[in-house]
Amino acid sequence: MGGVGVAEVEGRPLLEREWIESARRGDASAFEELVRHYQEIAFRTAYLVIGDADEARDAAQDGFVRAHAALGRFREGAEFRPWLLRIVANAARNRRRSASRRADLALRAFHDAVSGDAAPSPEVLLLADERRRELLAAINGLRVDDRLVIALRWFLDLSEEEMAAVLACPRGTVKSRLSRATARLREAIGEASDV
Amino acid sequence: MFDDRRDRLEARLAELAAEVEFPATPPLVALVGERLAQAPPRIGLGRPVSRGLALAMAATVLLAGIAVAFGIGVGGLRLVFGPASFSPIPSMVVGPGLGAPTSLDAARGGVTFTLRVPGLPELGQPDRVYLADPPAGGAVTLLYGERSGFPTDPASGIGLIVTQFRADIGPDVFEKLIEGGVRVMPARVHGEPAWWVAGGDHFFFYRDAQGHIVDSTLRLASPTLIWEEGGVTYRVEGAPSLAEAARVAESLD
Repeated sequence: MGGVGVAEVEGRPLLEREWIESARRGDASAFEELVRHYQEIAFRTAYLVIGDADEARDAAQDGFVRAHAALGRFREGAEFRPWLLRIVANAARNRRRSASRRADLALRAFHDAVSGDAAPSPEVLLLADERRRELLAAINGLRVDDRLVIALRWFLDLSEEEMAAVLACPRGTVKSRLSRATARLREAIGEASDV
Repeated sequence: MFDDRRDRLEARLAELAAEVEFPATPPLVALVGERLAQAPPRIGLGRPVSRGLALAMAATVLLAGIAVAFGIGVGGLRLVFGPASFSPIPSMVVGPGLGAPTSLDAARGGVTFTLRVPGLPELGQPDRVYLADPPAGGAVTLLYGERSGFPTDPASGIGLIVTQFRADIGPDVFEKLIEGGVRVMPARVHGEPAWWVAGGDHFFFYRDAQGHIVDSTLRLASPTLIWEEGGVTYRVEGAPSLAEAARVAESLD
């Protein structure tokens, strides 16, 4: 699976502006390109907000359909990705029914994490795997808001502006929320231990 | 932007990011395209929207969501988006879903609809004819081996498949399971709505009278044209392009 961002692709911003302009003029294939390039980050954002893959699929669809309808309001020169993620996150929140259905984040299969010729010994790998599992279990055990802010920052690598859009809060609040969530995670894993 | 300095916990979080598994991204390009194709013309949202209009728009979005949740229907066929819950057999030449081998004449007498056969001269007569019953009204599959312009699938030796069955059977009887990477494009056959399913893996199967899944996939990842005409659902599978599939479809006689 490819990366969730697009900023790393050279020339993409220019293409993106062209797609947006063409889509605003009613070019369906241009909007399709926008969906193609942002579908993964949109789906994953919705999944983190909603905690259920089927609901996240529908929420991401809702988000793209709403974004299509609202393209006329998109401010020229603004960043498209935070604008889209705000719409997708709102769609996900509208679909969120119950926190009890929220699936825990999971790790990839163990063997997927091993690569390269000079692979460490099985014991070292097992230990590293165990440490990853402990950390993820601690994240899964956090309150919903804390887990979301940590996952957006570290697992989706969202910018501060994008996090503010998804969390529907001012940019200045993002740092304090992340800081508080990180502090609670430290507490959960035991800061005094090897962290 | 965030501070780039990382303590040990942050370093562990950064490392963990590569190992976190997210569910597979669904085929949103196709799903959103379908939603937009069904949606009414875009409404400018820069001006105030009345409560009535807002409610109507919300209802439209809800209905579109329901349509997607239950798949896209074509007569007796449903396009289902999602991962396979069973393992299709990739090299199947003749699957149990095809029914029993028979002749064209016998097949004509075994179904409750008018059986149609492609009239393209390069196809000629089908090499194999299969009749399945159930589903209600019967289902006929015509198999063609190598033909000019229709390269064969190396695993099965099949060049083209044409299947037809009654469109008024239960919507859950025949299903086409569509996974990520598959493109579903709207098309037309004789002016009737059709779907062109291409790319990625897609499987064709039906549920028998006991509700068991019977795989009738013949060629994995083979582009397929599906449409309904005169109360019959058709699929043409294996044509190298939509244009070729449509040519086969519109030659049915």
